Amino acid sequence: MSTRHILLGLLKAGPSHGYDLKRRHDERFPQARPLAYGQVYTTLQRLVRDGLAEVDGTDADGGPERTLYRSTQAGAHELARWAGEIAAPAPFVANEIFAKVVVSILADGDPAAYLRAQRAAHMERMRELTAVKTAPHSDLATVLSADYALNHLDADLRWINTTAARLTHLTAEVDTA
Amino acid sequence: MSNKGDTSAPLLAGRDLVKAHGRTRALCGASVDLRAGEILAVTGTSGSGKSTLLHCLAGIVRPDQGSVAYDGQRLDRLPEKRLSELRRSDFGVVFQFGQLIPELTAFDNVALPLMLAGASRTEARSRAGEWLERFGVLGQQELRPGEMSGGQAQRVSLARALVTGPKVVFADEPTGALDSLASEQVMTALTHTARESGTAVLLITHDAQVAAYADREVRLSDGATVAAEVTA
Amino acid sequence: MATDVRLAWELTRGSDRQEWWRVGLTAAGAALATGFALAAVALASLRGYRSVPFGHGLLNSPGERSGVIVSLLLLLVPVLGFLGQCARIGAVHRDRRLAGLRLAGATPAQVRRIAALETGLACLAGSLLATAVAVPVLLGLWSSPTVPAWAGLALVALGVPVLGAATGALALRRVVASPLGWVRRSRPSSGRGPGLLFVGGVLAVLLLALVAVANTAGGDRARVPLTAFALVLVVGGGTVWLAGGTSLLVGRLLAGRARSAATLIAAERLRDDPWAAARTHAAVLLVTIVGTGFVGIRQVFLAVLDAMQRDGSLSMRRSFYTTGLDLTAAAILVALAITLSGLAVGTAESLANRRRGLAAQVAAGVPRAVLGRALLLETALPLAPAVVLAGTGGMAIGVWYGSLTAGRAAQTVPYAALLVPVGVYVCCLLAAATSLPLLRRSVHPAELRYA
Repeated sequence: MSTRHILLGLLKAGPSHGYDLKRRHDERFPQARPLAYGQVYTTLQRLVRDGLAEVDGTDADGGPERTLYRSTQAGAHELARWAGEIAAPAPFVANEIFAKVVVSILADGDPAAYLRAQRAAHMERMRELTAVKTAPHSDLATVLSADYALNHLDADLRWINTTAARLTHLTAEVDTA
Repeated sequence: MSNKGDTSAPLLAGRDLVKAHGRTRALCGASVDLRAGEILAVTGTSGSGKSTLLHCLAGIVRPDQGSVAYDGQRLDRLPEKRLSELRRSDFGVVFQFGQLIPELTAFDNVALPLMLAGASRTEARSRAGEWLERFGVLGQQELRPGEMSGGQAQRVSLARALVTGPKVVFADEPTGALDSLASEQVMTALTHTARESGTAVLLITHDAQVAAYADREVRLSDGATVAAEVTA
Repeated sequence: MATDVRLAWELTRGSDRQEWWRVGLTAAGAALATGFALAAVALASLRGYRSVPFGHGLLNSPGERSGVIVSLLLLLVPVLGFLGQCARIGAVHRDRRLAGLRLAGATPAQVRRIAALETGLACLAGSLLATAVAVPVLLGLWSSPTVPAWAGLALVALGVPVLGAATGALALRRVVASPLGWVRRSRPSSGRGPGLLFVGGVLAVLLLALVAVANTAGGDRARVPLTAFALVLVVGGGTVWLAGGTSLLVGRLLAGRARSAATLIAAERLRDDPWAAARTHAAVLLVTIVGTGFVGIRQVFLAVLDAMQRDGSLSMRRSFYTTGLDLTAAAILVALAITLSGLAVGTAESLANRRRGLAAQVAAGVPRAVLGRALLLETALPLAPAVVLAGTGGMAIGVWYGSLTAGRAAQTVPYAALLVPVGVYVCCLLAAATSLPLLRRSVHPAELRYA
């Protein structure tokens, strides 16, 4: 996830200051990990350094003075390039659950029990997300981001089910290798 | 099976259910509790005995062994006539497809359970109209099941299952034939209405995303229930 | 071709009990059809006055013989109706199976040949059986049958299976044309094949009757049986058409006003496909017309006979005439029996096709009694006005016959004939009721599982 591009995108709406950007990010991407203010601040500085954003002045608005940022021409180009670029489809198959199963077999643990517990945890999370999604008055952004997570959890879950069903074979393979 | 609020007696309880179809054992020792107003998902791979469990709990088939208790009555011991009455008055069923009569309009399909319960045609149709509106298919009221989309037909089926104000709705893969968007609409309609009216739902599905609409999950494996609660 | 035969055989062998019912009943129907046609052909090949050793001399002279031939050929009508019902058994499954063949890469011609073989072989079995019985009987009665007689027999014995195969292939036109459409459709809009079979068959019977009668009798003597025959066909056709119309009307009227669930279901099913009911009941109506007409004619005829016996103007023994009447009565009863079997088969078939839906209704708590009542009402509702019409038509025939004999006997209206439609109606309800035990068996929860 490229935070700098997301901030560039948010700046397209007009000059903003750091705190405003963080608030809008968290609103736009519900259920995502909230941005830390420090991260927003450092990212904005790097954007300015790379010539993708510039300072637009300061805004007091009755409170403490805050720096306003705006996107540059180069920033707009970079944003367009990034938005059109495809996301690499699973470039590395790194899967924590699978790693745990294999390690568990190697260490004579109970991979089946682990998979059951993982499955239950996944289901619990899916129930939470479904509740968020189906709550009355939830907006489309919330529904779509919950759907994204639900589909991924569902994929994990299906993988967990087939793996659990083939644990005996996997154990034999890992043990002989 | 521990969960929040376990103090009340279950509305429907199946204990150590065994049922064989010919030589294959579909259920061997499954036990399920359904509390009033609860939405319970029964999941498992195909052939794990999900549908047979639903049939036993809904009094559609009698288990070979074990008991089914509903509201203080032993369903496995009731005569067929009483069971049929009970299914009409206290239960609603939704299947993957086939529960609507193909020759009847959506309107009459939903009015049918009320007519069977002795309501007049006018009264039945006016209440059917309310339920069709609730599920957003009032515009399709004069269509027959074959003329509707799968999602619309399934929402009419929900209206038919809920129109009599049942205590329990049994849903066997209600979204099995639908795409994900239609499936979402049907599940949202079902769970909202059930929660609003305090109807318990026993939901059979192999789809985790559908099971996630439930409050709780019971997993079936080779005809027996396995724990599916979070252990951590 | 060898592949097609093997495929057709494998498909039949691997299919369920329903398919064997279809084969068995089709063979039985074909045997009946062959039997009646063989008898008609044997009689038609006789020329002039012959002494036939049975039937009280009824078969001796050409005039009466042509009447018997027409009766025999008329018996083919209910048999055709019955065969039409048999073709509908498992029609949905057969269509799916053959559509599957198409999707698997079979050419349209191949699918058509396989379908033709499936029906044709069943008809061949029936026709061979009937011929195997008929030939020794014939040889026992008639020491030296003529060459045309043999030729006619062979034509019938081979023609029945060929016709069966042709209709089998014809009924599947749409499957052959669009395999995908048929695989996807859950409910076929009642195939036109059996209906075509029926209409075509009736026309063929009419032609045969013309030829046979012209052959045996010729001239004026053939006029009365032929007029009666034509009248029966006209009234019959009209009744079938009216039956469809009334089914639609009854369905529409009742669907809006139904107070009970059973009436509502039955009425909507009628409104959905009124012609299915009309086709099923076509043979019933023809039998009603013929039966009512016959009872009327019989009453007038006996009155005339009594009058003539009193004046001593009877040229033959009285038994000569009454044997003819009794034979006709027997033929009509046979026709009624065949028709009722067809109706029973049709009702059972409509149940078998709707197994899953019915099982779902029972699971939802719809009492079996309601479904049973709906099933009976589906037969009873459209049949009531149609039988009334058919009975009226039959009465008209009886009254018309009475007017022909005016002056020879006291003019009476044959009220006894009115009992025939009532009797037929009751019999039809009983035939439909034979499916009720099947309803119990059909609505098994096993039908509710998927895959």
